[in-house]
Amino acid sequence: MSRTPPRRAPSTVAGASAPLAPLSRDSQLAAEIKGLVTGGDRDAARERYGELVARQQRRAVRIAYQYLRDAHDADEAVQDAFIKVFTHITSYREDLPFEVWFTRILVNACLDLRKSRARRLRWAVPMSSTSDTPVVDPATPEPTPEQRLVSRERTNQITAAVDSLPDRQRTVFTLCHLAEQTTAEVSQALGLSEATVRVHLFRAVRKLRRLLEHG
Amino acid sequence: MMKVNHLSDDRLIELSMLEAVSTTEQQHLSACARCDARRVRLQRMLDDVSDTATAAADAAFPPERLARQHSRILAHLQHEGRPARVIAFPAGHAQHEPTVSRTRAGSRWVAAAAVAGLVVGVVAGRFGHDYGRPGASRVIVARTAEEPELRATGTTATIREVSASISDDEFLNQIEIAIDGPSAAALQPIDDLTPRAWDVR
Repeated sequence: MSRTPPRRAPSTVAGASAPLAPLSRDSQLAAEIKGLVTGGDRDAARERYGELVARQQRRAVRIAYQYLRDAHDADEAVQDAFIKVFTHITSYREDLPFEVWFTRILVNACLDLRKSRARRLRWAVPMSSTSDTPVVDPATPEPTPEQRLVSRERTNQITAAVDSLPDRQRTVFTLCHLAEQTTAEVSQALGLSEATVRVHLFRAVRKLRRLLEHG
Repeated sequence: MMKVNHLSDDRLIELSMLEAVSTTEQQHLSACARCDARRVRLQRMLDDVSDTATAAADAAFPPERLARQHSRILAHLQHEGRPARVIAFPAGHAQHEPTVSRTRAGSRWVAAAAVAGLVVGVVAGRFGHDYGRPGASRVIVARTAEEPELRATGTTATIREVSASISDDEFLNQIEIAIDGPSAAALQPIDDLTPRAWDVR
């Protein structure tokens, strides 16, 4: 599987506000869309927004799926997040990376869905236990070659290990490792200090290592 | 002997996920097999987690599904900000109302049929009930015959005496006259349909 190298944040003193990377193409696009909406040209803004959605979509579904473990819920959360971003595009601050702002909205959408799912489950009749196997969408096609390389047992073990992380550790780990955000970006997205983000990240990795290397 | 400073676990995590390896650390990793093995093991574990998560998400969201999602988002935004369309109620429709008047006429017929059925049912039930039981017929006939006597005496002994005064032949003859009458003939089919008390038992 092709993997982009992790984005490295400049080394900073823990807790200090970190300088962020120069604005990305997505941030520039978001600023452009904001300008179009402010100028009343919503049709052109929507057209440009389609491009932005396409650029962010894959990353968004990976984060949401990792967080929710359900394709339908992840689908809904991602849609909600994208719609919310467009309807609130005028409140976007051009000096911040779009990815950070979007991730914050996406994580909130995931949290809302998890809450509503918990409410639903409180009233639902329990079905057969699926806690140790990832939920697979019925429309899911044949496994990819990448999936075949990793044994099912190992996959389940990894999924269970990640699921066992406390919520905050899991969120930080997902954003840092899977969404490849820097600790500075994650601290902005989650409203935590960078030192706190690093602490959660270290604890998450230590726990995963304990579970997966010796498990 | 020179003390070797191995890399801490947290530093290895930082190097694997967050920060670039410095020249000094790179030299140490090249020289220290133990630290390098720890780093490789950690990196492999992180890669496994990443691969598993990515593969699961990508399997759940193939390109077609992403395309559908993209279309739904843009379709939703197409209507966003526009006022809701109000469909006008057709003005002339309320004046005619043929459906309502038809319903009223129909309901009148239904009500009339229900009343007629009730009347027929009551009458049929009354006659059918009386003619269905031999004892009942006897009581009516007997009462007609003995009424003057009952008024005169009003005792059990008198009833026994009056009943005895009508012969069996005369009593059966009166029943046959009653059954053969025109009103009773009309009710005969209903009587046939109605089960007898002794049949039901």
